[in-house]
Amino acid sequence: MYTYNIFNDMIKLRTVFDDFFEHKTGYESSREFPPVQIREADDRITIHALVPGITSGNIDIQLVDDNIVISGSKKEDYENQQYIRKERLFGEFKKSIKLPYRVKHDEIKADLANGVLTINLTKSEDAKPKKIEIN
Amino acid sequence: MMTDTNVKNSGESRKVFHIPLTDIYETADIYSVKLEMPGIVKENLDIVIDNDELKITAESSPEENTDSLKYAEFRAKDFSRTFRVGNDVDRNRIDAKLENGILTLTLHKSEAVKPKKISINQVN
Repeated sequence: MYTYNIFNDMIKLRTVFDDFFEHKTGYESSREFPPVQIREADDRITIHALVPGITSGNIDIQLVDDNIVISGSKKEDYENQQYIRKERLFGEFKKSIKLPYRVKHDEIKADLANGVLTINLTKSEDAKPKKIEIN
Repeated sequence: MMTDTNVKNSGESRKVFHIPLTDIYETADIYSVKLEMPGIVKENLDIVIDNDELKITAESSPEENTDSLKYAEFRAKDFSRTFRVGNDVDRNRIDAKLENGILTLTLHKSEAVKPKKISINQVN
């Protein structure tokens, strides 16, 4: 399981060097599948995940507390032929992403297009700051 | 035969291109090349065959979402990879299909290199 927290961002500098010396330029680095990008603004979070070759029937998104869990399976599509090169990876995957705040359960939208999964989330009312009146 | 010619970044620009993961198989008639290019649409894809080089380049459209990026395990979705192709590939018969972020190229072999049965003429 992979969880998003601030320390991961700090350790990333190390990864930058490692990747440089190993000539890694692809998104297929040592991260758990699928690689994600998280954007945040006002009261919304957008998660993009790269899931090439996966159809919506083979992917499952769950909200567990304040974690988004993406799981599924990438079915291998080998033909019964003589392969010269086999680089693509297949199998089961599961990844958990910790959200910075709680989100509205009924306003989660997920889209799958061109091998990219997009999840849109909005901040839950009880996660917003609340002004307390003084009598 | 097909070999990879660029396992390096493009030197002339600062842009980093991902090298798409690729599966290739060969039959008597074709080479089938399958590349993973998530987020790429047909309009941004460029497939060029020049002499013995097959170059596949895809640059993603600029990000329309301007919300601030908080965390990223990948950057822009730009891909580039070059393969060296032999004389056995018919330059005019290359089919391409893009589906769910997977590009499938079918390179037909030229008739000249296909196995051919030679009939024996009966002479009395």
